[in-house]
Amino acid sequence: MAENEVKQIIQQIDSLKPTTISQAPQLLSRAKLALLKLNTLVPGPKTPSQHLLLATTVLEYGALSSIRLKDTDAFTRYYQQLQSFYSLPAERWGHAGRPGNQSKVTGLYLLLLLSVGDYAGFHTVLEGLEMSSGKEQIDGDEFIQYPVRLEQALMEGSYDKVWVETKGERVPSDEFGVFSEVLINTIRSEIASCSERAYPSLPISNAKNLLFLDSEGAVIQFAQSRGWVAKDGRIYFPQQEEENMAADKDVMASSGLVIENTLGYARKLETIV
Amino acid sequence: MADKMDVEAVNGAKEAERVGPAPDLAADRIITNNFALLNSAVDAFDPRFTLRALRSISTLRKAADFPDALAIAIRTAFPRPQNNARRVLEEMLPERLRGEQGTDNANGGAASKDPDLVEIAEVWAYLGVLCQVYLYDTQQYDKGASFSDNFVEKVRSFNRRTMDPIGAKAYFYYQLFHEHLAPLPPSKQSPVIDIRPRLLAALRSAVLRKDPDTHAAVTVLLLRNYLSTADITQADLLVAQTQFPSSAANTQVCRYLYHLGRIRAIQLAYTDAHANLESATRKSPTTGPAAGFYQQATKLRIVVELLMGDIPPRSLFRHPTLEAALAPYLPLVHAVRIGDLQAFLATTTTHAALFRADGTATLIARLRQNVLKTGIRMLSLAYSRISLREICRRLGISTEESAEYIAAKAIRDGVIPSSSLDHAHGHLATRLPGEAYTTTEPCDAFHSRVEALLAMRDESVRAMRYPVDKHRRVAAEAALARERERELETAIAEGDEEDLGDDGEGGF
Repeated sequence: MAENEVKQIIQQIDSLKPTTISQAPQLLSRAKLALLKLNTLVPGPKTPSQHLLLATTVLEYGALSSIRLKDTDAFTRYYQQLQSFYSLPAERWGHAGRPGNQSKVTGLYLLLLLSVGDYAGFHTVLEGLEMSSGKEQIDGDEFIQYPVRLEQALMEGSYDKVWVETKGERVPSDEFGVFSEVLINTIRSEIASCSERAYPSLPISNAKNLLFLDSEGAVIQFAQSRGWVAKDGRIYFPQQEEENMAADKDVMASSGLVIENTLGYARKLETIV
Repeated sequence: MADKMDVEAVNGAKEAERVGPAPDLAADRIITNNFALLNSAVDAFDPRFTLRALRSISTLRKAADFPDALAIAIRTAFPRPQNNARRVLEEMLPERLRGEQGTDNANGGAASKDPDLVEIAEVWAYLGVLCQVYLYDTQQYDKGASFSDNFVEKVRSFNRRTMDPIGAKAYFYYQLFHEHLAPLPPSKQSPVIDIRPRLLAALRSAVLRKDPDTHAAVTVLLLRNYLSTADITQADLLVAQTQFPSSAANTQVCRYLYHLGRIRAIQLAYTDAHANLESATRKSPTTGPAAGFYQQATKLRIVVELLMGDIPPRSLFRHPTLEAALAPYLPLVHAVRIGDLQAFLATTTTHAALFRADGTATLIARLRQNVLKTGIRMLSLAYSRISLREICRRLGISTEESAEYIAAKAIRDGVIPSSSLDHAHGHLATRLPGEAYTTTEPCDAFHSRVEALLAMRDESVRAMRYPVDKHRRVAAEAALARERERELETAIAEGDEEDLGDDGEGGF
């Protein structure tokens, strides 16, 4: 009974159009209730393989739709729930084979970690993946490779590569596109903080290209939000000057530190001798 | 991965160093001699005797007649053939030794003049560990796993502090057996996952019973267990929730630091990781059976050092125990040092399989950005002004835009702090660096060295061992001395009086 209900709901979710995706959470909570009745929301040692498959399908739909709805907390929850299914051995899945969306969901999770700047979490998940499924499989998996490429480009600073990757046709599936905006904002603020240090001043027209902005007006707006000064068609970075001043002061301030250190050595020497 | 390295090697070295006293003795004599040691350990309540008994394991397992010796020892300890413990232990031995049960009564009778031995549970546990060693060396992993299951449970139920060092060993082999059962660890169905509850329970009892030996050993085993299936988050949580006993044996501390360093490296906390790995490599013996551990820890340390932007000293690669093992890492270090991206990529592809086996592959993949940074630094040091196109060509970067962003990031990250970019002309300009001695840099360097040395001294002071109850004896002696002094004083006083009396008599 509950099994048919789940199947029905899956069909309903499947037929949802992008415009009506907001109904998904409602349907999903009904599906999850039905799964609870089947006792398969968490895989037990005796859960039959068709129930496992139903449960993963529901949870994967949940994960993907919550990404579409930009509900990252819900996505993380679905991801954690799916983990217990993904770690089951192959023979538990029967002739139906393993569910197909595992790498997509994992790839999205990696991208999520990347977009919030949790690099430690990113590498932890990646390390686990390489250990459990082997390097070759990871290398051939476009859904996993996409966040890996992005992370590498972000870390080495080739922000133009990130920009190209987030453009339409390079994104492996439309769920990944949701993160493009977040990532572009991330790289823009990264570039801004780099530019503050790297350039004495910057022509506005060049800044437009550097920051991937559409118009010079947008550049000026962005400059104001960062507290930069725009005059005579150039941008000046006030932080830089302040920091130069601070560096001069530093030498004076360090005499206190030197005294403190020396006193510390003296005290230590006393305990030793 | 961690299981590639011979973790038990750490123990081995210690054993090899000090085993000296009876190298020529027959294996069965060594075991029976150890019974006496265990005996005195229980009497004197001193775990050092037990440790000495355990140390001879590495000599024993190499002996050709180890199983025979073990059989003799079991019969010596349990003279009666129908003894339950004896039957269980003998089950583990090869058939031919088991068969002699009936005929061996004479031998058993001879040994029964020492009946006290049988009563000591430590002797039984010690024989159990020897059985584990035997099963492990003969690759009977299934049998060993089921034997160890019951064995560790039994050991835990005894709750005797003199048993702790033996119990710690028992858990070690317990885990080792399960690691070799199919499916092997990286798989999520590996039996190592099933033994986690047992190990956690052991950890809990060890903490409650104030048993630092088992506590340390089980913590290390759990970390190893988690890392073998790449459950880094769990391992990290375990570290956060438990406290590693400060009185743990050096070998356990080494392993703990190594695992901790590995976790921190994966989490990108390189400074922490480096500190842990450095202590691990310094504390570890560099020769003997521990060489495997030393090599593995050093490999990881080198990669972490490179990730931090440091270059390991050349002398490290000439170290006799490390030279061969580190050979693939040498070109890697070279490539990072001169910022040669092509050479770096070539090295990673040539040795890819090896790096993966070492568990350093993912960390090495992160090195790419460091290579670029070093490359840019070398260029900025060599040229006061260099065009972005030239940077692209030298470092193998695909576009000028990328080069500009990479250079900008390098400036922000403080790799080339005195440089600036000129977007309009497309070049990177570098001001001459100021005199280093006008900055606080020499002072900082001096300070960090002094700090390190002082910390080392503090640790050495803390590591010193004092004999038990020494202070009480000193106090007693002092009291005795005071007593004597008082006696003396009274004697003198009396003498004075007598003298006075004499004088008085004489005077009058």
